[in-house]
Amino acid sequence: MSEEQEPTLDELQQMKQWSVFKRLMSYTKPHKKRLAFAFILLLVATAAELTGPILVKTFIDDFVTPRNFEQRALVILASGYIALIVISAVVNYFQFVLFQSVALDIIQTLRIQVFTKVHSLGLKFFDRTPVGSLVSRITNDTEAVKDLYVSVLSTFVQNIVFLFGIFGFMFYLNVKLALFCIGILPFIVLIMWLYRKYSSRSFYDMREKLSQLNAKLNESLQGMSIVQVFNQQKRLRKEFAKINQEHTDAQIRNIKYNGLLLRPAVDLVYMLALLMILSFFGIKSFNSPVEIGVIYAFINYLDRFFEPVNMMMMRLSIFQQAIVSAGRVFTVVDEEEFAPINKGNKNPVISSGKIEFKAVSFSYDGEQEVLRDISFTAEPGQTVALVGHTGSGKSSIINLLMRFYEVNKGEILIDDVPLSNFENKELRNKMGLVLQDPFLFVGDIMQNVRLYNQTITDEDVKNATSFVQASPFIERLPEGYQTELGERGATFSSGQRQLISFARTMAFSPTILILDEATANIDTETEEEIQEALRKMRSGRTTIAIAHRLSTIQDAELILVLHKGEIVERGTHQELLRQRGLYHKMFLLQHGKDSMNDVG
Amino acid sequence: MRVFLQLMWFFKQEKWRYLGGIVMLAFVSLGLLVPPKVVGLIVDHIEEGTITEEILWRYAAVLIGIAIGIYVLRYIWRILIFGSAVKLAMLLRNRLYEHFTKKSQEFYHKRRVGDLMAHSTNDLQAIQQTAGDGVLTLVDSLMMGGFTLIAMATTISWKLTLVSLLPLPVMAWATNKYGTMLHKRFHSAQEAFSTLNDKVQESISGTRVIKAFGQERDDIDNFSDLSRDAVKKNMAVARIDSLFDPTISLIIGFSFFLAVSYGSILVTRNELTIGELVSFTSYLGLLIWPMLAFGWLFNIVERGRASYDRVETLLAVKEEIKDDGSIDTSPMGDISFQLEQFSYILNAPVLSDIHFTLKRGQTLGVVGKTGSGKTTLCKLLLREFQLKSKDIIIDDHDICDYKLHALRKAIGYVPQDHFLFSATIAENIAFSKVESPFSEIKEAAELASIHKDITQFKYGYETVVGERGVTLSGGQKQRISIARALIKNPEILILDDSLSAVDAKTEESILQQLKTKRQNQTTIITAHRLSSIAHCDLIIVLENGTIVQRGTHFSLLNEDGWYKETYEKQALETLISEGGVIK
Repeated sequence: MSEEQEPTLDELQQMKQWSVFKRLMSYTKPHKKRLAFAFILLLVATAAELTGPILVKTFIDDFVTPRNFEQRALVILASGYIALIVISAVVNYFQFVLFQSVALDIIQTLRIQVFTKVHSLGLKFFDRTPVGSLVSRITNDTEAVKDLYVSVLSTFVQNIVFLFGIFGFMFYLNVKLALFCIGILPFIVLIMWLYRKYSSRSFYDMREKLSQLNAKLNESLQGMSIVQVFNQQKRLRKEFAKINQEHTDAQIRNIKYNGLLLRPAVDLVYMLALLMILSFFGIKSFNSPVEIGVIYAFINYLDRFFEPVNMMMMRLSIFQQAIVSAGRVFTVVDEEEFAPINKGNKNPVISSGKIEFKAVSFSYDGEQEVLRDISFTAEPGQTVALVGHTGSGKSSIINLLMRFYEVNKGEILIDDVPLSNFENKELRNKMGLVLQDPFLFVGDIMQNVRLYNQTITDEDVKNATSFVQASPFIERLPEGYQTELGERGATFSSGQRQLISFARTMAFSPTILILDEATANIDTETEEEIQEALRKMRSGRTTIAIAHRLSTIQDAELILVLHKGEIVERGTHQELLRQRGLYHKMFLLQHGKDSMNDVG
Repeated sequence: MRVFLQLMWFFKQEKWRYLGGIVMLAFVSLGLLVPPKVVGLIVDHIEEGTITEEILWRYAAVLIGIAIGIYVLRYIWRILIFGSAVKLAMLLRNRLYEHFTKKSQEFYHKRRVGDLMAHSTNDLQAIQQTAGDGVLTLVDSLMMGGFTLIAMATTISWKLTLVSLLPLPVMAWATNKYGTMLHKRFHSAQEAFSTLNDKVQESISGTRVIKAFGQERDDIDNFSDLSRDAVKKNMAVARIDSLFDPTISLIIGFSFFLAVSYGSILVTRNELTIGELVSFTSYLGLLIWPMLAFGWLFNIVERGRASYDRVETLLAVKEEIKDDGSIDTSPMGDISFQLEQFSYILNAPVLSDIHFTLKRGQTLGVVGKTGSGKTTLCKLLLREFQLKSKDIIIDDHDICDYKLHALRKAIGYVPQDHFLFSATIAENIAFSKVESPFSEIKEAAELASIHKDITQFKYGYETVVGERGVTLSGGQKQRISIARALIKNPEILILDDSLSAVDAKTEESILQQLKTKRQNQTTIITAHRLSSIAHCDLIIVLENGTIVQRGTHFSLLNEDGWYKETYEKQALETLISEGGVIK
């Protein structure tokens, strides 16, 4: 990358940052009233806090200097002062809390928005987005945005108001000196500008080096056996030490910039301002008497002026981080790979459960066809089995039938109505899917069967589990249906997990059953029960089943043998065996030669 | 504070920088006492009407001098103290890394990469903070606090000092109390966040199930509840967190009030000038930071100590593999396994009764089910685990008699999980021979049948792969890691199930090339697919860690057993995957 390119890139970045920022600000709109209230509190607290020095000034000038102690006035003054510090503390507290609560509510809104969005997206989106990065968008990145609202924006608003307040009081005390004090501002702005220009870059550089360092370390740890086997420890140590040194250099550079531009620089300006105020009063006193109280108040205001400045400077780097995070969150919010939804508004109903594929072709990426010209019909109550080698297209057929993806060519009909006409709700209620991997959620068995559907009663859950013959093992558990499933149900055997997921499907009493048989070895104990459960589940329901074990689908009305996305053989078990084609070979593979004698 | 003692070795090593930094901090603290004093003096001059231009100039010069002096000193102590802290972290990081490179696989089996990463990042950060901010807060709270107190008590009025400091202990008490409360609430907020994180993780992984059951809306509601809970917990934090500033300003306010009221009494009694009172209030302001720093110090030190202990413990882990052999020359490839039994520490035996001999130039095939011990057998040869003497003999010497680097120099290893580094393909292939000319890299790639694939990438051999590079197919990664082993032209080549993801034709061409290229070198191949090892001089079949069949491909085909069964099964599988048409 050439030197000349950089500024333009920076500018682009800044434009983007600005638009992200504006968009973030738009989230404050619904909270206008609370924000306005918080702002009023802020004004009150600031006024109270800054009136204190004026009272001290009055005290010094009107009472101490002339040695005039009128008791009543002093009591009023003293109680006034105490009232002010108490008011400012209390009001400030509520103001802080209020700003934070608005900030947290905004994050809540943003989180729900992005989470809702993610659920409306199609599987195509999930296929190309790694789980980890998506999770991090929804949680970590929104958390970083939270920091923006909580510790950056509210601090900025509070401190800027405070600064305005200080100037207001300075003008009240002495217009001329206040005007001089405004002369400090360009210095502050200059320091901020320099800081942003140099220090934020060196900060960014440091972060970059840190992430390189961590990446290198992480990679080394993961590949350590390779490093050792190939005798490369020394070289990698050297490489690591180099990045480590670079990171250290970047940190030192950052320390230097911070030392030059942060607090020390701001304090330097403070000293100069102090000098200016003292000289102003000193010179003024040559000609006319000066009120000591005014000097006191001015110096007091000056002391207070620089704390907010320092605070804002320190928060600048968080700001940049948060904007980058917010940008990432918005890319998800703006994602347009939606899940297919129904066309038309006829809201047809699935009653008998006839399924028909008419010359369906499909491709995930628009280039390589994974299904070509698939046609078949499953009459109500029939079982159609899909068999084939890995990658033959079995799962794609199920994905299309579940309307996880949209068909490219051809048509799928349910009860002679195009699949695309059905409402999502109707499809999900009437079609029960059993996945290969019985995905279980955190929660107890009851919750896992019912999911969030509160219309399914405890009785229904028990019926469903006993239907799939899961109730014996569940009832043997000490906590029965209330047994918590550990991480992804790790405490149960794979067979038991399957049975629970069967029960889940049956609790929704679907008209159509879609089965993706487990490939994983299921323990022999439950194997029998699973087969029995599957038989029961299938009876009376139109079933599309992916079978890995051919023995399980011998009674299917239709078996489709897929190879490279096409149906190469079709028929019943006996017909296919007689053909002595691919199905025959697969059967041989699973059952050995001996069993063939029985079927001839 | 014990951590400062633990870090003493470093402070001693960097004593001039630390001493220099501390002295500068002391000067800064002293320097900061001057402006309030100057303000007081000028105020007194103004009040008495004794101010002259000359006096003003003199004070201006003092202030400017002090301001610039402080600016410079502050800049330098930061570099000295914070710079040293950075250096400490760098030092420890290098030390940890070196330690990691020396640890055997046993060490990595017991620990998760994530934990080791946490030690090298979070713990080192806490230690760095201790050596930087920790030192700063200690010095500042003691010196700046002390100096200011002394200045207030001696140069102005000890009575006034005592009276105005009355409310300050309340501040220390309150901030401490808030701190504990905050800690608890913060913890539960963190927990709520991690629950939220788990929830999202689950929803995204289970998105198919959620979609299949049409539960999106309900899942969103559930998420909203959890998110609302996180907001609630964060609000609990905010309610305590927001107490800090108001409390501090309230107490400082009282302190000021006392200072000004009592101070005025003293002024009227002529025990104090009005200028001194003004200076005094400024000093009071200077005391805030040391008090806060003192509270902060305990926090930093506590974290630092825990972190330092963890890092020390990690560094103290002893080496399991003894590298005390004396032979510094790399062995050739006569291998003899005489292993009675091997088990990972405290586990059931993984391998038992493994006896075979391999002459230089021969090829060994190892097959068997997953978990039968194939990979362990390879790893023993690499000495990734500690062996008993005479378990394995190479070139008439016990494998333990070789220096580790000499032994490993002779071995080219292709692991099962084809791990590539985030670097270019050329760098990955030349991993063990960084200076290899391109011709050698290309030759290795050709041997591994990956050259053609590589030339099809946009950047060819310069394509960056690994976690942060382009995604390669499993087969491509396998072949690159084969090339990485072949470029060493090793005496002993170990292919640990590393042809599983390449297609049959490529496999054949790789095996063919190895055969011609490695006539005088020993090769060990483990595989699931029997086609990978059919050509071997000796084939052993492992089951539950022991040899159940041995022979050549043809002799094994002639006896009933696992080998024959598997062979027939795989032949059928191949047929099916090709569409099942025998024509």
